[in-house]
Amino acid sequence: MSTSPLPGDASNDPSDHQTGRFVRQPNGRVRPLSPHLQVWRWHVTMLASILVRVTGGALAVGVLLVAIWLMALAFGPDAYAVFTGWMGSPLGLLVWIGLTAALAYHFAGGVRHLIWDAGEGLTPKSANLLSTASIAFAVVVTVAFWAGLFMTGRVVL
Amino acid sequence: MSLQTKSYIKGVKVSERHGAGEWLQERLSSLILVPLTVWGLWSGWVLSGAGYDGALAWFRSPVNAILLATTLLVTLWHMNMGLKVIVDDYIHKPMSRNALVGLIGLLCVVLAAAGVFFIVRLALGSAPLPAGFGA
Repeated sequence: MSTSPLPGDASNDPSDHQTGRFVRQPNGRVRPLSPHLQVWRWHVTMLASILVRVTGGALAVGVLLVAIWLMALAFGPDAYAVFTGWMGSPLGLLVWIGLTAALAYHFAGGVRHLIWDAGEGLTPKSANLLSTASIAFAVVVTVAFWAGLFMTGRVVL
Repeated sequence: MSLQTKSYIKGVKVSERHGAGEWLQERLSSLILVPLTVWGLWSGWVLSGAGYDGALAWFRSPVNAILLATTLLVTLWHMNMGLKVIVDDYIHKPMSRNALVGLIGLLCVVLAAAGVFFIVRLALGSAPLPAGFGA
């Protein structure tokens, strides 16, 4: 990768090799390329916002699993035994732990967005704090929930 | 309404078509889901390791059955809007976008109908459905 040119240099000498940094517009002018995610420094607010969407997608799978749970229960003890056999396996438990984390995070992220939509907590400092807090909340809830399930013997490996 | 019309509320430009309604629905469903999610997590705790009989006993409480049906329906409403927004953001060909949005809507309706059907049966203590599933 070559050294990054100053934006001023670009318009002075458009023939320079500045691949990926500047782009020639149809009218011949050289303009800086708009910032892409790959070169954008990650902020906690970005991560927090993107995680809401990712966990939302994961939770759609969770809704499917809940529907399958209802179906297994409605089909009687044999079907339910098959269901709990799958879901109680190490892979099944891993899926449910992930879904717990997704639910806890999507919940906290949703509340954060509701706070923002009300016009509160929008200074950079508060926004960063709320974002960090929602991630921490999800971690704490997930760890506490599953540690509790294992320690009370409700779930055994 | 003509596309040239500009709509303002308190000096702020607002959607002239259906965007504002969708925005409100997204927030309304989120608000309703805040308490329901806390209850859902608690229910997950109670039902974990409760077994078949424990789960059936849980469903015999009308409060549980009604809250679960409500949670399922509001979640599907919320999920339908959320998945639609993702498709709107990333799929730009009108044909593919409309097909995907339609499929997602269909999936949500099927899940709602099937889910409520099972919940009602479980709440009424109906006999297990015909055997054969997973056997």
